[in-house]
Amino acid sequence: MLISGDSGGTGASPLTSIKHAGIPWELGLAETQQILVANDLRGRIRVETDGQLKTGRDVAIAALLGAEEYGFASAALVASGCIMMRVCHLNTCPVGIATQDPELRKKFAGQPEHVVNFFRFVAQETRELMAQLGFRTMDEMIGRVDRLNVKKAVDHWKARGLDFSQILYQPKTEPGAAIRCVRAQDHGLAQSLDITTILPLCRAALESKKPVDIILPIRNVNRTVGTILGSEVSTRYGAEGLPDDTIRIHFNGSAGQSLGAFLPRGITFTLEGDANDYIGKGLSGGKLVVYPPRQASFVPEENILIGNVALYGATGGEAYFRGVAGERFAVRNSGAHTVVEGVGDHGCEYMTGGRVLVVGPTGRNFAAGMSGGVAYVFDAAGDFKRCCNLAMVDIDSLASAEDVDLVKDLLKRHVHYTGSTVAEKILSNWKSMQAKFVKVTPKDYKRVLAAISKARQTGIPEDKAVMEAAHG
Amino acid sequence: MGKITGFMEFHRAKQPYRPVAERVRDWKQVMRAFPEDELKKQGARCMDCGIPFCHQGCPLGNIIPDWNDLVYRGQWQEAIDRLHATNNFPDFTGTLCPAPCEGACVLGINDDPVTIKAIELAIIDHAFMEGWVRPEPPEILTGKKVAIVGSGPAGLAAAQQLRRAGHEVTVFERDDRIGGLLRYGIPAFKMEKKVLDRRLDQMRAEGVVFKANTHIGVNLPVEELRRNFDAILLAGGACAPRDLPVPGRELKGVHFAMEYLTQSNRRCEGDAVPTDREITARGKRVVIIGGGDTGADCLGTAHRQGSRSVHQLEIMPRPPEHRAENNPWPQYPYIYRVSSAHEEGVERLYSVSTKRFIGDDQGCVKALELVKVELVYEGGRANFKEIPGSEFTLPCELVLFAMGFVGPEKPGMLESLGVKLTERGNVGRDENWMTSVPGVFTAGDMQRGQSLIVWAIAEARAAARGIDKYLAGTSDLPTPL
Repeated sequence: MLISGDSGGTGASPLTSIKHAGIPWELGLAETQQILVANDLRGRIRVETDGQLKTGRDVAIAALLGAEEYGFASAALVASGCIMMRVCHLNTCPVGIATQDPELRKKFAGQPEHVVNFFRFVAQETRELMAQLGFRTMDEMIGRVDRLNVKKAVDHWKARGLDFSQILYQPKTEPGAAIRCVRAQDHGLAQSLDITTILPLCRAALESKKPVDIILPIRNVNRTVGTILGSEVSTRYGAEGLPDDTIRIHFNGSAGQSLGAFLPRGITFTLEGDANDYIGKGLSGGKLVVYPPRQASFVPEENILIGNVALYGATGGEAYFRGVAGERFAVRNSGAHTVVEGVGDHGCEYMTGGRVLVVGPTGRNFAAGMSGGVAYVFDAAGDFKRCCNLAMVDIDSLASAEDVDLVKDLLKRHVHYTGSTVAEKILSNWKSMQAKFVKVTPKDYKRVLAAISKARQTGIPEDKAVMEAAHG
Repeated sequence: MGKITGFMEFHRAKQPYRPVAERVRDWKQVMRAFPEDELKKQGARCMDCGIPFCHQGCPLGNIIPDWNDLVYRGQWQEAIDRLHATNNFPDFTGTLCPAPCEGACVLGINDDPVTIKAIELAIIDHAFMEGWVRPEPPEILTGKKVAIVGSGPAGLAAAQQLRRAGHEVTVFERDDRIGGLLRYGIPAFKMEKKVLDRRLDQMRAEGVVFKANTHIGVNLPVEELRRNFDAILLAGGACAPRDLPVPGRELKGVHFAMEYLTQSNRRCEGDAVPTDREITARGKRVVIIGGGDTGADCLGTAHRQGSRSVHQLEIMPRPPEHRAENNPWPQYPYIYRVSSAHEEGVERLYSVSTKRFIGDDQGCVKALELVKVELVYEGGRANFKEIPGSEFTLPCELVLFAMGFVGPEKPGMLESLGVKLTERGNVGRDENWMTSVPGVFTAGDMQRGQSLIVWAIAEARAAARGIDKYLAGTSDLPTPL
């Protein structure tokens, strides 16, 4: 459990957020510790805190208040040369840290030793404080709020009337009750579908790349199905994965959360049924297909098929959904290609790459903060503009041959994998349907694409052209 | 601020100077104005830092990134308002300050810093040209009377602040003209006297009264001052020069820099100097002892008087071209600097110490005996060790001491007032800038020891607030310190 305080964070945040969001970690940490201890739950988890930790004194206070892990970021960054310019988002970091500009990156003068040294000092100061307090190990220190005192030297009129007793309160406990983590967590991985069933069935594929074809039932208690399988593939075959469709698993039923999370290339999951949230999270080259049961009597394109946050942070692969997705579809997608028949609010938010085709309605705030990739939307009702967040993207008509080919290809695949009648109808009436498609492209991305294509024509190095376009 | 990518596109440009051959023939200012379009580019180099270290480089608290941006955008009137909000005399500092702000500029970490000083000067020059610098007399008078002793930058800044707060302010100056070191220390080729005069005109119009030829504790008793004024500010500077008591010190032709510079400045003002007291470099081989700014002022003056040759001696080793390891950003950089006077020609000798002055049979100095020294650290203290056998002589007819100042002059005013001094011999003060004598305040070199104009102005502003509070109970005057 992480208690993150108010004063840390990225220099790219607006000043209002830096100054006025959240509360100090000390308050959150004290409350967390007290509640967990009072309910005898503290022994089961580890607690971490961060938010402008800078010194050994911070570490000691955090430990006494009940944290066993301590996060540092800004201070370590400063040790390696950050000067807190607060331009992390502008590509103009003058010390070469938060920038992709090769000229600026040359100016980076930080060395790993600087950071090592910083943490050595933090550790040294922590040791000194431990010695003063009489603690031999960190474990002895965790949650010993009785050893904290309010600094008497603070003699300021603003400090008068402050009552720290709630922060320094130590709940009464049964003798032997844990005030720090004492029990390892059992995640029940040994009972997971991957370990019990899928891995044994896929041995031939994993060991000698032999194609396997499996049909399995699935229930919503089966979570993160396929991720352990995926890690076995990646461990053996690296980012390349296996040849497409080497492992094909057909599931029947209702999938639990995170079906096919981080699935690498070579694995194809087909699900006849429906799926919970986070399907295809971090998809890394694998293929996902979901459609309702063949005997279902409802209209697929009018019903929710998969939950929220599908394809969150996907980096590659393909996904075809014969039905409507929940909210935050393909948020932070950076490479996956996907077709879906409708999405909820905030679709494609913060997307940076990949292609998303929505043949149906979208919720509001579509493409908010989208800086890369392209989304195509079949805007049958003609009201998409109202749903789209236009701060960073342009809406254009589907015109170029390249785009038309891509959309048609995605539709054909969608029909092939899911038997979608929606896609079929569009394809068979393409001439009249094409005009209803819109293309959503981030403005900056568009400029960079134009620069690249111009660079290719004129022969200037692509990197240089991209940099120039990025700076405007 | 300025342009987000300005620092990546434009390089630092140097303040333009008049050509050497032309400028050594007159006493007019060496600096030339920056072309406006170039200056805007320089303003665009400012990076709108999350943490603007220039703010801490300068004691005045100048809001440097703001006016850099305003210059880039051509909003000159807003720029001067922003500049005058923290600095009474950007015309002096923009011309004379060694710019610790630029030493602290974030861009200076791995590039040349923003030309903050040149931008500052352009803003105030522009403002004077447009007639935006007008007298700002107080709307309400308090009826309280303040005496300010000393008319250097500290005295003037405090006078302007206190007058604008509504007090009756009289500035006393022992010399015959107002301005302190700005008048008689700084040579005209660095800052022409009309720059000073136009400020004095502004202050007179605001109601500040100036009294020259008034040496407190000498020709005007301290008691009279105390009787006639509700508060007194001591801003008399640190005028006691560091001496070099080696054999031959009494020879003719061995002078303190301030004797020399004052006389030269008087001559430029049109005053007649009696021949028997004349100190001139004309036709002489000159040696300046001390490698700092005062030494450079002597150097430029000697050039203009027609010296035969000039050597400048420095006991410290030659500073490095770039910051040393122990002198990191954002500290003031101790590096090898070439001032306008150095550009005009000089022989700079480092790591040398003077053993004695050699005179001729007329009692005039004819040479220096020098020795090479080595800087050694013993028990954490720096010492200069003579290198045996490295003695040599340097023929000369004029020797000038520019080795800094040891503190305020004690006889006269300070002794009669009986103010407590610090261990270093400066005037002591409390957090409201009041000395041990109630109602008597101090600011500038007199309490700090020799320092920069920016410190003089900053302390004067802070002390003005202390005085205003003392007189009125509360004060709305800003304080940078």
